[in-house]
Amino acid sequence: MDFPSSLRPALFMTGPLGLSDVPDTSFMCSWRDALTLPESLPQNSENGAPHLAKGLLWEPDTPGPLPLLPPGPDPWDPGLTAQDLLFRGGPKFRRQPQAVLDVTEQVSGPAVDSAVWLELCLMARCPLLPQFSRFLWDHGDIAFSSLGKLMLENFNLEGPRSYSKKKTVVSVKRILEDLGGHQPWGCPWAYFSHRQRRFSILGDPILGKSVSSLLGELLYEELATRWEQLLLDDAFTGGALAWLPGRTPQVRQLVYPAGGALDKLCFQEVRLTPGSDPRILGKPGHIQLRGPVRQVVTCTVQGECKTVNYFPPLLPEPDPDPDLHLLHPSSALLAVRSDYHCALWKVSRQGRPVPLQVLKVEKGATGINLSPHLPGELVVCSRSGAVCLWTPHDGLRQIYKDPETLVFRDPSPWRWADFTAHPRVLTVGDRTGVKIIDTQGPPGCGLLLFRVGAEASCQKGERVLLTQYLGECGPDSLQPTLHLICTQFSLYLMDERLPLVPMLKWDHNLPSAPLLAQLLPPPRPGCARPLLLGGQGGQLQLLHITGEGASTPRLAGHPQSLPSRSDSLSAFPLLEPRSHWQLQERLQAPTIGLAATILPSSSSPVLSLFQLSTAGDVFHQCLHLREDLGPPSDPRPNCCAPTASWSPQATACCRRWLKALLKVPPAPPVWAAPTFSHRHLLGFKEQQKVEGKVPEGLRAAMAQGRLLQQRDLGSLPTTEPPPGPTPGPTDELSERLEAAWEGPVTAWWEQQRDRTSRPGRQLKRPKRRTQLSNTFSSLSSRLDLSGATSAPHSPDWTSPVSRPRSPVALPSQELTQDLWAQGIPSERQQTLRDYMAKLPLQGNTPEGSSTSLSQISSTQATPSTQRTLRDCAAELSSHRDTPGGATLPSSQTSSIWATPSRQQVRILSGSQPHRKKPRMGF
Amino acid sequence: MSDFSEDLLRPTKEDDPAGRSVRSGSGMRLPWLQKHVESVPTRGKKEKDFAQTTSACLSFIQDALLKHQWQRAAEYMHSYLQTLEDSDSQKRQAAPEMIWKLGSEILYYHPKSSVETFNAFADRMKNIGVMNYLTISLQHTLYLLHHGLLDDASRNLSQAETWRYGEKSSSQEALINLVQAYKGLLQYYTWSKKKKELSELDEDDYAYSTASQNMFSHSWKTSINFSALIQTPGVWDPFVKSYVEMLEFYGDQDGAREVLTNYAYDEKFPSNPNAHVYLYNFLKREKAPREKLISVLKILYQIVPSHKLMLEFHRLLRKSDQEEHRRLGLEVLFGVLDFAGCAKNVTAWQCLAKYLRQILMRSHPAWIQEEWNSRKSWWPGFHFSSFWAKSDWKEDRALAYEKAFVAGILLGKGCKYFRYISKQDHQVLRKKFKRMKKLVKKHSIVNP
Repeated sequence: MDFPSSLRPALFMTGPLGLSDVPDTSFMCSWRDALTLPESLPQNSENGAPHLAKGLLWEPDTPGPLPLLPPGPDPWDPGLTAQDLLFRGGPKFRRQPQAVLDVTEQVSGPAVDSAVWLELCLMARCPLLPQFSRFLWDHGDIAFSSLGKLMLENFNLEGPRSYSKKKTVVSVKRILEDLGGHQPWGCPWAYFSHRQRRFSILGDPILGKSVSSLLGELLYEELATRWEQLLLDDAFTGGALAWLPGRTPQVRQLVYPAGGALDKLCFQEVRLTPGSDPRILGKPGHIQLRGPVRQVVTCTVQGECKTVNYFPPLLPEPDPDPDLHLLHPSSALLAVRSDYHCALWKVSRQGRPVPLQVLKVEKGATGINLSPHLPGELVVCSRSGAVCLWTPHDGLRQIYKDPETLVFRDPSPWRWADFTAHPRVLTVGDRTGVKIIDTQGPPGCGLLLFRVGAEASCQKGERVLLTQYLGECGPDSLQPTLHLICTQFSLYLMDERLPLVPMLKWDHNLPSAPLLAQLLPPPRPGCARPLLLGGQGGQLQLLHITGEGASTPRLAGHPQSLPSRSDSLSAFPLLEPRSHWQLQERLQAPTIGLAATILPSSSSPVLSLFQLSTAGDVFHQCLHLREDLGPPSDPRPNCCAPTASWSPQATACCRRWLKALLKVPPAPPVWAAPTFSHRHLLGFKEQQKVEGKVPEGLRAAMAQGRLLQQRDLGSLPTTEPPPGPTPGPTDELSERLEAAWEGPVTAWWEQQRDRTSRPGRQLKRPKRRTQLSNTFSSLSSRLDLSGATSAPHSPDWTSPVSRPRSPVALPSQELTQDLWAQGIPSERQQTLRDYMAKLPLQGNTPEGSSTSLSQISSTQATPSTQRTLRDCAAELSSHRDTPGGATLPSSQTSSIWATPSRQQVRILSGSQPHRKKPRMGF
Repeated sequence: MSDFSEDLLRPTKEDDPAGRSVRSGSGMRLPWLQKHVESVPTRGKKEKDFAQTTSACLSFIQDALLKHQWQRAAEYMHSYLQTLEDSDSQKRQAAPEMIWKLGSEILYYHPKSSVETFNAFADRMKNIGVMNYLTISLQHTLYLLHHGLLDDASRNLSQAETWRYGEKSSSQEALINLVQAYKGLLQYYTWSKKKKELSELDEDDYAYSTASQNMFSHSWKTSINFSALIQTPGVWDPFVKSYVEMLEFYGDQDGAREVLTNYAYDEKFPSNPNAHVYLYNFLKREKAPREKLISVLKILYQIVPSHKLMLEFHRLLRKSDQEEHRRLGLEVLFGVLDFAGCAKNVTAWQCLAKYLRQILMRSHPAWIQEEWNSRKSWWPGFHFSSFWAKSDWKEDRALAYEKAFVAGILLGKGCKYFRYISKQDHQVLRKKFKRMKKLVKKHSIVNP
């Protein structure tokens, strides 16, 4: 192997950062890197230095990647965001941080490293206080059970009376009596039990402090982990998307995890042709695993695998899927890392993956890699700091173990290992550095290949996030001794023959952690090799690296960014806000896998790029290479790259995908904003004598927790027609509105109808931001009365008088008063109420119950119809009764409330005349 | 930016003793932290408009650069210059460097930019942030060098060389040394040009003496330029190479040897294989004794066992009188073939086959056995699998033949590779094969 005959000049400083005042001579300009020092004098000074292909650019065919596969059937939840975890208050909170909850006092001190943690801590103190006390209320058994056991001897749980002379024993029976409002002397405040007093004295220091401080600590820990995970989730380091050879060179297989928990390993055949988009062949075969897939590695070594002895399959057999024919000329090995398991398959001529062995990693596996030299050899690393060489033949062999990090102390248990140009030498990495170790040598010894410090001119707080062996020997490739090392700031290329001195350094400036990388073969002989770098947030960068033979690796041209999945948003049709948000969240899901190939083409090479997101979506993009080999002084006519645009096929593809996506039921919310019961207001108001129909209706609706509608209130004397647009001879606005509604809303409407046809799928709790769309859906549901009789009623809301309820299980039905009060400005409430009142009348219109929303909006917009409607409303309002809400409150509700109030409610509701509800079409 | 979030983003501020005292947290700095924090609405003060526009502009420029839209980047760059007037002193100080990085990048790639534009920009930037004068000068020189403007580059370096600002810090000193070394390199270029001219001239020519005089004066200047930097730890391959060439030309062998020895053996320097290669080549030119050469290559062998000089090393060792050396010769060959990149090196296999035969003839099978012990677990799969047998036979018959012989010796005639190759019927090689089989039968270290 050739070693570069002359390396680029570089200062070499050892030791940690900041000790020596030495300039960073790696200036971080891509152009500077392109400049090599001439060996001797450039003879003809005009073009002495080789002109590099400056205009090396991969042009995307579409502005963003397109979905390759339909979305999975499982709902996907984006998880926590910074908004959920962080609290940024005004300076007021900062000045007095210790005010609120002493729970976190012990936490705030030594364990806090940076101000961010302090901030988390603040958050735990202030806004979480109500949640915390609520937790103590709701899960008292969890919070207090162990304490209860500890204090058992101080309580007398049974028996009428303990005659113990010890004053430290409390009779529980009496305490419960006291607490239950047992008032032997009539007046609740006259008697304060000495037992209660004793109990408070005994229990206060323990119950009041230790429980909350213990729980507070745990809570803080949990929050800190979540926040750390949000900033950097290293579970998917390396990526979970890979290629397997297919039947023919054009047909390949993508291996990726799918399913809500990413525990289904899928094999999808894809036909790649340079001229067109990749075609999916058949349905994917899959293997169900028992844990989430974190990393997928494939490797074909020597075109075959060693014949491996039979090992009992520890994993469930793959599905007998007839589509899974993995016929290909050669076999490959497939290694999968889950949180606590690693598994190895052989994908052979037989066409089905054969499980070879499964490995359990007690402390959790952090990385797995397949040897590029020896078939069936793997390296696995665990959180405990152990690195093992693993062959199905010989089992595990621990080659390195160090719970401490390499260079300096870092708390992260992340470890990584990869192979080198020597089959018996491995690299072992952690956050602080990368070491080369000889598996045949004495344990523990090795040579540092990279260290976070002055050697590589690292920045403060820089850590290794990914290391990868880029080796691949070929006549036209880079040195087979190169290793890629990515940190949060930069990318380094290291040659294992010259440790500690980076051959190349580039500031990638990615706004998320670069956990994915792939070096691709040169698109054509003599061309620079593309190196793909993928950030967790979906950002992609492509670097061109040259340096064959005896020259140092360097960047050829400026790196370029590739479109990310969120750039595809423009290809999708316009949506109502809620679906739009859902789509946006889905497109912004973290990228967890990257697979690319270069397809040789007669005109220009095509880069086919696949990416996998945590939601399980596989997106695809094609890019064409454009080369400008002109000398730098030549003004090029097309200095700005022509922007790609969406083709009709692409938008159609997106539309189809979106349709499937919207059919997927949304994930049940992990957390919803706490709602406040309105019922105590009800009780509070009970004493006052209620007069008039309006308050009565209001009261009834409140008691039931039901939506207040105009018909509940009877005819309101103050009813004003909603301030609509003044009707003119040609109403431009309504025309435009009509047009707007007819277009993009159709998709939404269809989705609504789909949902209607599937009863029983309920949204548990609406989110605030969906209120508006809920309003609309409530409107549509009221119109769709055809299936009303068969509507499933949720027990809470059932009323004896069958109110025509829509079968659409919509959150709007649970739209409670507080939403009325909070979400909608008061001046608009009236308008909305008027709308509500009017809408049932749509049954009178000739279109009847099948009127679509767009039609309604158009009819309403025309002034004449509006007039009629209003008249009808006036006529009919007298006939309308209070709704079924004016009946007994549900048993659930009543049980909570004290007897007198309930009685009163009954009386109140009973005083309402029961009338038959108007059925459909009145 | 509100002082509140500033605290959040600069965790290790001096007024935060709790945060600084214990490093139990990860200590990792994440550039995307700010983005996450800013996604949370704040009730406090908002970031100033100025800071907002500047950071937005920066991201636009970076985006345009990554999309190779040089014109767009240049337009945004125009507005980005406002960052020089940032009220935040930390940002203001970092601004010139940022502007230089982005600006030079744009000007390097922009189709309409010229050397003049770049020069003007560089000269302006040198004086805006005085702290960056030397760094910018160096990069400017590289740019000029790349465009073949040696004189301009030299002038530029001369200016930088005399530049001083404030107290002379170690950082400044290192940079000045670097500037001087580059100047020396430029002088070397002129020198080697003259040397070439001189070699074309007749010695009796009148021009010859003036030219040689010129060269002598150059040499004297250059040695001063190089010597300071070469003492500093680092990778100085081009400088050392040219320096040594000049020293050798003027007969200063001792000086050259000292430079090279220091470059190769100084502990503070990184273990640069080239340093040993240069020393070896120098000693070879000097016709140094074999012992000396072996000792240099021994160190290279420890650093890079896959280096192409290793075959030369093997030849040296093979010829050596010491048994120890001959034994090392075998180790070196095995070591070369351990590497994936050398697996198809016919010469190495040829050497190994020949040497194995030689060693077995001299009856040292223990040497082979010892080398083989650590490799017998993986060489069969790595080198002698049936896949390689087929592919080697198809691609390179000579390689297949040598490998088959080695396989036969090491693994016995039952080995897959040997069997496959020996079964191939090839007229030309038939005789050779016969001999190979005989030898294997006779010498194989595997007991039948």
